[in-house]
Order: sequence, then structure tokens, then C-alpha cells
Amino acid sequence: MSSLTPPERAAPALLDRLRSLPATWACVALGTAAIGIYYLLPSHAQSVLYVLIGLASVGAISVGTIRNLPIADRPAWRLFAAGLLMEVVGDAIYGVYELELNREPPLPSIADVFYLGGYPLLALGIILILRRLGGQTSRAAILDSIVIFCAVLLVQWVFFIEPYRHTTFASESQRITAMAYPLADVLLLVGLAQLVLGPGGRTAAYRLLLASIGLWVVADEIYGLNVNGYQAGSWLDALWLASYVLWAAAALHSSVGRLALPERRQLPRLTAARLTLLAAALLLGPSISLFERLHRGRTHVYVIAPVSAAIGMLVLLRLAGLVRSVERARRSERLARREAEQAQQLLAHQNDQLVELDTLKDEFVSSVSHELRTPLTSISGYVELLIEDEQNEEKRGYLTIVDRNAQRLLGLVSDLLFTARLQDGRLELERSDVDFAEVVRHAVESARPRAETLSIELVLESDDEAVVSGEPARLGQLLDNLVSNAIKFTPQGGRVLVRLTRVAGLARVEVSDTGIGIPGEEREKLFERFFRSQAALERQIQGTGLGLYISKAIVDAHGGRIGVTSREGHGTTFVVELPANA
Amino acid sequence: MTDRPLILCADDDEDILALVALRLERAGYEVVRAIDGDAALAAARTRRPVLAVLDVMMPRRTGYEVLAELRADPELRELKVILLSARVQESDHDRGIAAGADAYLAKPFKAPDLVAKVHELLGRTI
Repeated sequence: MSSLTPPERAAPALLDRLRSLPATWACVALGTAAIGIYYLLPSHAQSVLYVLIGLASVGAISVGTIRNLPIADRPAWRLFAAGLLMEVVGDAIYGVYELELNREPPLPSIADVFYLGGYPLLALGIILILRRLGGQTSRAAILDSIVIFCAVLLVQWVFFIEPYRHTTFASESQRITAMAYPLADVLLLVGLAQLVLGPGGRTAAYRLLLASIGLWVVADEIYGLNVNGYQAGSWLDALWLASYVLWAAAALHSSVGRLALPERRQLPRLTAARLTLLAAALLLGPSISLFERLHRGRTHVYVIAPVSAAIGMLVLLRLAGLVRSVERARRSERLARREAEQAQQLLAHQNDQLVELDTLKDEFVSSVSHELRTPLTSISGYVELLIEDEQNEEKRGYLTIVDRNAQRLLGLVSDLLFTARLQDGRLELERSDVDFAEVVRHAVESARPRAETLSIELVLESDDEAVVSGEPARLGQLLDNLVSNAIKFTPQGGRVLVRLTRVAGLARVEVSDTGIGIPGEEREKLFERFFRSQAALERQIQGTGLGLYISKAIVDAHGGRIGVTSREGHGTTFVVELPANA
Repeated sequence: MTDRPLILCADDDEDILALVALRLERAGYEVVRAIDGDAALAAARTRRPVLAVLDVMMPRRTGYEVLAELRADPELRELKVILLSARVQESDHDRGIAAGADAYLAKPFKAPDLVAKVHELLGRTI
């Protein structure tokens, strides 16, 4: 049943209910009416109606089984139908005796064979349902079953079976037949108790089934208390007939399919109901002894004592099992707690180490950056002096190269420091309203000397104003990266176009070049740390592979997007979109 | 003594100290040099400069400590101070300004930037 998906179970519930309501209702209403009519009829007609009600019930159960149950769940209800049919046949034979021969059938008769034969079928049906419900195979469940069996057997024996030993019968076979009925009821009683305690869902069909079995057993027991007082057509018949009707109603109810679903599947825990049951079982022996002593003046001590002892032992076993499982649970809980504590300590320790490492790394990065910048300060500072003072144009050229490379080294140090901090996930912006058009303009103008040196046409198209909430230095770094990249990858005589536009609340910058382009498979990795394109490596275009990584981090921190389109051999366009204020 | 304004330069790196001093002298200032924090503080007290360019990472006393001493001294409280450091994170910059520096410049510096800042703080036009 676990293969049923929730929608299959839940969705048609209302529909099911609407569809099955009339059938169940009609069954109960017709049954009640028929039972009422039964008591208005003369005795020979009563016998006929009795059999008809039974047959109708068997028919209704068969219809309900086919209509409401999947094939796997049908055997139990087929057994119920078969068992009840045996009873009906017994009733019919009984009726024939009364109508045709004007007397009750002899004891034992062929009617008794059918009557008694029905019980094992009904009990087997209950067992099948219990099996479908599951949860009955644990040691505790089996112990509970044996306790119930002992208790029921004790009651049946003392009050219903044993008295027949002292009754006068014409023959021994009569006595055995009489004793067989209460014995057969033991089967139904034990089954009923198991169903009451069982883990099945308490659906309407389940309750109807419990009621029908309950009525049947109660009728049997009352009959058994005063066999000779029974007359066909007595009020007791109403109980058996009602049992037929409710059994049929249960089968016709749509929830009969869910009855066998293990909705409350769990091990039989020591619920209040089960505790009450065990207590009642323990008290049963002494209670019966007391009752017999007060009302009969004699007790069945030889039966009560051993059965009570057995029940006592079983309850003890059950409780011992419980204590053991509690101890087991406690042990595993202790173990789990100890493991959790150890794990927590380990985690705390590792966390401390991580914090320490983080601090160390910060200090290291900061200190390396400091140590690299200090000599660079002297190099670029003195080179700057030399360039100023140098008259020889050629030497000034050489010095400019030294200066440019010192600046490159400085850029690299900055990028590495920036990347190390990004790795910690820290890019906190000091936001203010930034004139983004001005940032773009500044980046383009800064790059212009280099573009001119390389004979690259650098064009700025910026008609729109755009105000972006962000950090000016970072946005400047972003634009510098993109523009210098475009220049770097564009051959002499090429063109780099920087265009700023406003598109639906976004400031959009496109940086296009007429460079070598980027192959598709490289485009995905473009924004990864230290990624360098094959073309860049082959042509020895200088770079660290950090520029676009940093650019993307800056765009992300500003809540924007960066993307790239490219045609190999034709050029590349980087597009940045940032949320704009105005 | 000349009538040129006196500026205190302190850096434990002698090359950078010489470079800063040279740049400021070329810009028309007289320079007193200090090779560590203690010397810087002593020179500030004895020579009474109008402005100090302090390196941050100096032995004996760091630039921050010298700055704190200056700001605690009633007679030197008004001295203009530029911190010059190779520590370039925003937090370093913020810390310098919070400690009472009038400006924070990153190393390597561009000579025109340094001179412009000095002019600005001393209210001079270039």
C-alpha cells in the first residue's frame, strides 16, 4: 500500500465519501427496517426473513469487497463472506427444521457443523486483516496476544465451557457440541481484542467491523449463559441480525480500503489501553475466584491458579522487555550524547583554529603587501625623480619603462591583496551616490594615453546621466579593468568603444573591442580566479588572471550583472548592468 | 634659519625618508628628518615644525603612537600630520583619520599628490 501516492489517497477522499455514503446508509437503514419488521412477523416468516437478512449481508459484503478493495486486501473479506454464509446456511437448516418439522433440530445436527465451521473462517479473516495492518510480529505484540488468549480462555472456560461438564446431556457428543460454541467464541474474542488494540487506522469501516464482531460475540455469550432460556424470535436475534447488517455496512464503506492501511504503524508501545489490558489480565484470576466464592460457593482453583500464574509470568516478561528496551534506549542516548559532546568540542576547537588561521592569513597578506610596497615606493619614487631630471630622450624612455613595470608590479600586489580579502567573502562597500557617467569618463580618459601609444581608437559614447549607489573607488577599478583589458587584447589600429546607456532602471556599460575574441568554451571560465585565455598565453599578453574575477566580485557586490559576448577574430563585448538611482 | 616652513619627516626606511625630504625641499620647504618614532617626537618638541609626515610602521614608536602623543600635548596639538603608509586597506585609512591625522597617503605615493596635500594643509597655493 505504500506505493500509493498521497494525491491518490487524499484527493478523491471527498468523492469517495459522497459515493459510498448512500450505500452504507442504505444498508444500515434497510437493515434496521428489516430487523423491525422481523419482530412484527409470525414465527415461520421470521425464519425466512432471518435467512434473507443473512444472505443480503453476505451479498453486500461480496459487492463491497469487489467495489472498494484492491485485490491484495480482498481475501480477508471473502473469508468474512464465506464465514457468514456458513452461519446463514446453519440458520436455513435451523429454519427448515422449525418450519417443516415443527421442532428444533437435534444436537448435534448438520446445522451445528455449519455454525461452528463459520467461526474459523471469520477468525482467519481477522488474522489476515491484522497481518495487513502489520506491527503484530514484535515480541511484545506476541506476548500481549498470548495474555489476551489466556484471559479469554480462562473466562470462557470458567463461565461457559466448564458448566457443561455438570449439565446433563443425552450423549457425550451433545456435550462436546455445546462446549464447542464458547470455544469457538474464544477465536472471535481474541481477534476482536487484537483489532481493538491493533495499529490500524480508525476509519468508519474499521469501527463498523469492530461493532459487528462485538455484537456477534456479545449475542453468543448471552446465549451461552442461558442456553435453555433462548427461544427463536427473542430479542437476542436482533444482536445477530445487527451484526450481519453492520458487517455488510463496513464492507460497503469506502474507507474499508484504508482500514488495512498501516496509518498508525508503530511497535505496540505500552499505551494506557495496553496497560489497562495487562492489569485486567492480572486481576482476572483473583476476581473470578472471589466471584465464584461469593456466588457459587466453589472455585475452579485448578484452572484459575495455573492460568493466573501463566498470565502473571507473561506480564512479567512483557514488563522485563519494556525495562530492557528503556535501558537500551537510555544507553544509546548516553552514547549519542557523548558523541555529540565530542563532536561539539571538536567543532569548537576547529572553529577556534579557523578563526586563528583567518587572522594569521589576514596579517600575512597585509604584511606581504606592506613589505612589497615599501621597496616599490623607493623604486617608483626615484625613477619618477630621474624621469623629471633626465634630458636625454632615449634614457627617459628607458626610465619610463622601469616606471611602468613598477606600476604593474604595484597593480599586481593590489590585486593579490584584494583577491585574498575576497576569498574571505568580504567585500564591504562604502556606498554613496556615484556619478557613474563621470566614473566611466574618467576611466576612458585615463586609458587614452596608452590607447594612443598603441594606435587604438578609443571612443566614448555617453549621452545619459546615471547615478549609482556604490563605492567610487571600486567602480573606478571595475571600469579601469574592463577598458585596459579591451586595449590589451586589441591589435594596433583597432577600435575600443565604451558606451553608457540607461535601460529600465539600470546603468548599462558596454566595452567592445575589435580584438582576437574569446572561444565559447573559455567564456564560462572567464570570471574564475587566475584564469588566462589560451590566446593570452600564446601571444604573451601580460596579466594575472585576476582582473575579471575582481570585476565580477565588484559587480556582484553592487547587485549588478556582468556578461560577455564574443566572436572569435572579430571582437568581444563586455556588458555591465548596475541598478541605477536616477 | 630660513623663512621656509619647517616640515618633520619620519620614516625608518632611509631611502624613502630621503625621497620624501627631497620632494618637500624641492617644493620649497625646510625638512627635519627622523629615523624612528622617538626621534620624530623629540624633533617635534625641539624644532616645532608646522607639519609632520609620519610613516606608520616605525620602530620604538609607531606613527599612531607619535600622533597620539602630539595630540595629547597642548603645545603640539595643532600640528598638521600626514600619515604615509604602505598599509593600504580601507580600515588602515579609517584608523589613521580616526586617530587624528589630517591626511592619510598610501605608499607608493606620487610626488605631486604629496606636495599638493602639504600645500593644501598649510593653506598655500601652488
